Amino acid sequence: MATLPAFFRRTEAPARPVHAPETTRAAKPRADRDPYALRALPHEDILLFCKKIDNTRLVREPDVQARGACWSVIGVAGMVLLIVTSASVPYVGSTLAGYKLETLRTEERRLIDERRNLDLEEAELLSPQRLDVIAKDKNLVPPATGQVVRLDGKDSAVAMAKPE
Amino acid sequence: MVDRRLTWLAAMVLVWASAIFFKLVSLQIIHHREYLGKAAARQEISLEIAAPRGTVFSRSGRRLAMSVSTDSVYVNPMKLPDIGMAAELLGLALGMDREPLEARIREAYKGHRGFLWIKRKISQDEAERLRRVPLDWFFIAHESQRHYPNGTLAAHVLGSVNSEEKGNAGIEMYLEPELRGVPGKERVLTDARRHNIASRLSIPAKPGTSLTLTIDEQIQFVAERELAEAVKSHNAVSGSLVVMDPVTGDILAMASYPTYDPNEPVTSGEYPKERINHAISLPFEPGSVFKIMNYSAAFDTTNLTPETPINCGGGVIRVAGKTIHDSHGGTGVVPAKTAFGKSSNVGAVRVGERVGNENMYEYVHRFGFGQKAGLPLPAENRGKLRPTSRWSKVSLASISIGQEVSVTTLQLARAVSVIANGGSLVTPRLVLKRGDQVTPVAPLVRIIKPETAFTMRFMMENVVLNGTGSKARLEGWTGGGKTGSAQIFDVKAGHYSHSYNGSYVGFAPLTNPRIVVAVTVNGTHGEGGFGGATSAPVFKKVATEALRVLDVPKDAPEVANPTLIAKNAVVDDLAISDLEAPGSNILEEEEDADQAAQRIAQAALPGPKVPNFRGMTMRAVLAEAASKGITVLPDGSGIAKLQSPPPGAPLRQGERIRVQFTR
Repeated sequence: MATLPAFFRRTEAPARPVHAPETTRAAKPRADRDPYALRALPHEDILLFCKKIDNTRLVREPDVQARGACWSVIGVAGMVLLIVTSASVPYVGSTLAGYKLETLRTEERRLIDERRNLDLEEAELLSPQRLDVIAKDKNLVPPATGQVVRLDGKDSAVAMAKPE
Repeated sequence: MVDRRLTWLAAMVLVWASAIFFKLVSLQIIHHREYLGKAAARQEISLEIAAPRGTVFSRSGRRLAMSVSTDSVYVNPMKLPDIGMAAELLGLALGMDREPLEARIREAYKGHRGFLWIKRKISQDEAERLRRVPLDWFFIAHESQRHYPNGTLAAHVLGSVNSEEKGNAGIEMYLEPELRGVPGKERVLTDARRHNIASRLSIPAKPGTSLTLTIDEQIQFVAERELAEAVKSHNAVSGSLVVMDPVTGDILAMASYPTYDPNEPVTSGEYPKERINHAISLPFEPGSVFKIMNYSAAFDTTNLTPETPINCGGGVIRVAGKTIHDSHGGTGVVPAKTAFGKSSNVGAVRVGERVGNENMYEYVHRFGFGQKAGLPLPAENRGKLRPTSRWSKVSLASISIGQEVSVTTLQLARAVSVIANGGSLVTPRLVLKRGDQVTPVAPLVRIIKPETAFTMRFMMENVVLNGTGSKARLEGWTGGGKTGSAQIFDVKAGHYSHSYNGSYVGFAPLTNPRIVVAVTVNGTHGEGGFGGATSAPVFKKVATEALRVLDVPKDAPEVANPTLIAKNAVVDDLAISDLEAPGSNILEEEEDADQAAQRIAQAALPGPKVPNFRGMTMRAVLAEAASKGITVLPDGSGIAKLQSPPPGAPLRQGERIRVQFTR
């Protein structure tokens, strides 16, 4: 049974020099293969297994210098991150504000269009032709001269008497 | 060995860094603009911001014409995946027939056209339906659409627009530069999903100027309704009507029949008969209403007074070998006011002879005939008034009775405004405000003496009370007017036909008139088609509504004397003016005799008489009137020049005396 290091050593073995003597392992004469037998896979003869290693008894020795260096790196990285974030905040903010502004503009145009449509609808509803038809249906007649009192007009006395 | 490799590695890194550096220089400096442009083309989109066309308001602030945003659908025929399928789908979504649509698309494809409108100005429902379809080969464009919320109301004044929203008639056409806005532009930075991020360049749209017209929608509505009713009930061809403020020249209503709905687009090959504004574009021979100008010129230039006897010659007069008849038989010697009230042609010819050619031309021209009134409307006709050098021997007589001239309804209203406002020609005003700027009233131009205008007012009141205009008598307000019925000249036959232009021009109230109304019904037939029968009732209804809308206090009894109206209705039917058609006028002669007898009897009656206020100041007149318990209706300022009833006339109980003051 071979281990992984053994496997790697085997596969990574340096090439034999030209003048080197013949390998100690004599080349076996190749037996005649059964023409019907399946060809062996590479490294078919290698078996792998997991070796359990217990390192719980090992205790790491405190390294004060390494800890300091680590904190320094963290601090520098934090500072860099802060600077980069601070530098990009206005850009990101303006982009987000741009999205919001454009959305609001679109909304404004939509509302203006909607208001114009409502104005049109109001004008159609207040059309004299339409009012005349309704008035005739309800047997209404035009008011006589002086019969109409406009509370919002210049007649302040009447305007003051207008109920709230 | 290691050092050598490191050197190579460093060299390679240097080369790589140099390549990056040079590429950066190329990108950022050498080809900066080129790549910036390419980036902008991908990231930015240009939008055109539509400028809404100016809204048109009535004088009370109601919207008469306005534009709203709408959507239109278009495709690129060259990029359609399947024309048949596209036509099927769009036809279903837009309610269009598939086959014609497919034919249109195929034709555009064959013509290698890259743009084709499928349907313009679609409804909101159709737009919503299309937006739900997740296909990218059709596009929805935003456009503006003109709406006339009141349909046919004031159609001839407003006009209409074409599919490009460009005015093609009325005020929409004449004031196109003011109404049309200037579109804005915007370049917007977008993200990958085409959501807008920020505007790079923004030129705001400049909306068209809003206009406020002098038209009152209520008066306009009643004017159109009554005019249409009159034309239909008299089997006439067309009609026109103008309501005008005689002092400011404001056109309160301008109606023309037949009419049309400006919301409906003009179809190709359509004869625009309904779209002609008869009130300003179609001149006609005015007939007897033109006698107003004749008598005004005579009062101004001769010693003629309302009481001056005029020999009407039994209704027949020969001028330069041509015989002119009174249309209703004629009468003998009568006061000028009676000749005017009964619309005597012979009387008018006699008065015209006193005026003379030069004065007649001068005064007719002064009243605004033969020239444009200057309204901001296209196709205004100036009418016809030939110079005296082209007058024949019979021209003076013809013009005296309203023939050999052609006028428009607007010109008639303008001319009678001179009588109503005390003798000054007004310039009609149709646009009250441009945006927030009020259009100033053009200065008045005095063309006749104030006393002439005052005299004419009472002459015209007499027409309503005792003459041919009895059907124009208002209930609750005083007023004056003049009827006219002119035969229409048949150009093909070469003579006057039996079709008439029935007209009525009047004002109300008598003291400080607030409105002038001119009504013309064209192509009436028979006696029922004369001005007194066709146009005078229209005047009554429209003037009543206008005075009510304008809140003009009543100055006469609510109910008119029914006996008087019935009696005058007969006369009204006989009141026409023409050169050719004589007729009997037995009833009229009897009427005159009755009136003369009544007048003589009244003069002989004992009792209080009307005091003489002439030459007195207004304060003195009011003081004397108060001391005698008489109600005076003063008009103008200065010294009393004229009064009605005249001094010495019997004073009836409750009667009011009108006094004209001038400086």
